[in-house]
Amino acid sequence: MKPFKHYDVNTLDEAVSALQNFAGKAKIIAGGTDIVGMFKDEVFAERPEALINIKTIPNLDYIKEEDGMLKIGPLALLEDIAHDELIKGKYTALAEAARRTASPHIREMGTISGNICQQCRCWYFRSPNNRFNCIRKGGEDCYAEEGENRYHSIFGNVKDCLAVNPSDTAPALIALGAKVKTSKRVLEIADFYEKEEPKKTTVLDDDEIVVEIQVPQPAANSKSKFEKFAIRKSIDFPIVNCASQVEMDGDTVKSARVCLNAVFANPYVAQKAAEYVVGKTLDEETVTAAADLALQDAKPLTKNAYKITIAKSLIKKTLLACK
Amino acid sequence: MVQKHQDDGGGKKITLKINDNEYSMVIEPHWTLREVIHDKLGLTGTKEMCDKGACGSCTVIMDGRPILSCMTLAIECEGRKIETVENLEVVGNPLVEAYADNHAMQCGYCTPGFVMTAKALLDRNPDPAVEQIKDALEGNICRCGTYPAHIDAVLDAAKRLEGGKK
Repeated sequence: MKPFKHYDVNTLDEAVSALQNFAGKAKIIAGGTDIVGMFKDEVFAERPEALINIKTIPNLDYIKEEDGMLKIGPLALLEDIAHDELIKGKYTALAEAARRTASPHIREMGTISGNICQQCRCWYFRSPNNRFNCIRKGGEDCYAEEGENRYHSIFGNVKDCLAVNPSDTAPALIALGAKVKTSKRVLEIADFYEKEEPKKTTVLDDDEIVVEIQVPQPAANSKSKFEKFAIRKSIDFPIVNCASQVEMDGDTVKSARVCLNAVFANPYVAQKAAEYVVGKTLDEETVTAAADLALQDAKPLTKNAYKITIAKSLIKKTLLACK
Repeated sequence: MVQKHQDDGGGKKITLKINDNEYSMVIEPHWTLREVIHDKLGLTGTKEMCDKGACGSCTVIMDGRPILSCMTLAIECEGRKIETVENLEVVGNPLVEAYADNHAMQCGYCTPGFVMTAKALLDRNPDPAVEQIKDALEGNICRCGTYPAHIDAVLDAAKRLEGGKK
């Protein structure tokens, strides 16, 4: 790796000041499994000058229920979330998503805040030494449009960028109705992702950091489920993943949330599927119709129509598991 | 209020606790833990293979967790308890013999990473089931394809740790 500056901070305020000092030219490092790789491969168009290490801030890895919600500290490790009995029992989709993220080693290092903030894995974007200066880096072209796009978006582009969000925990948190507390505000996690500007993954300002994940307690008659399709069971990023949460009223659905990821620039809330199942019983016919509706708006590229079939299958599986 | 940094963001002298030794040295921010362990300190058991966090060959144990030293900045490891494969011989861990006896290697390059991952598992769970071993080792890649032998080796090591009681 080429040199960069590195600062340890002791409080969240210090982290924010450090980001302000560098005015957009510093990045936060938590687990480091994403940002270190980006430095190694020199994928940046404009290389950050410094890393601000927040692992030196004490007591930010908590997982606790308080004020009627689950609160997760930004440094909570994915491995600990995956095996936490409280999360496994009540916030099932989140535990399953954490468990299916990357490999055990990455989960022992990677944090929940890093997982929801991670950059896309588009192979043009990630190509070493900024070989493709794409739209996401301030360039003019999306190389996936006419190139190798088998893992790219099936729901269109954001200003021509066809990269997808690769997070496993993000769709689970969206299905569970989570909020992200930052150093400036509290956001619904679905609004945490940048919708207009592909140069940014999240809406975080240059001097803003995630300080807590808040998940409301699920209603008594509700269940949640996460499913992931990837080439290998371990290590791989999702080709498509999906999380659903369903609240039942007797035999029928009272409310539902369904979210796909790795299908669009941001986690894709399958609103039509969720609305369709309300008031119905969760049987094969209902979930098939819901999945078809959710993928009605899909606009596959030259090489990724197969992802539609996978997405439908995952919506069906997760909904049926919530019965 | 904008606060001043105490350091200048460059290299600094820190103490790394690796196995039972302490190494005080100036560490640059862009040095990975693997670089320091293997290239600077000469503990060559820890291998670099993919250098992108996707193969497990550089696994070391830090504060009880199996982590990838290639994706860890050494400058962030001050005060952490780091264990490399060299320590297994010192403490007499049966994994080494169990791996040899069960032929759980061919070219051997990935072996230290597997062994350290297995050590972290046995430290937490001295009597793992086959599924638990598979789960723990799922981040380690062996291009020779020795996967089935690793399960036998770890089960064997678990048995030896119990003094042959099982």
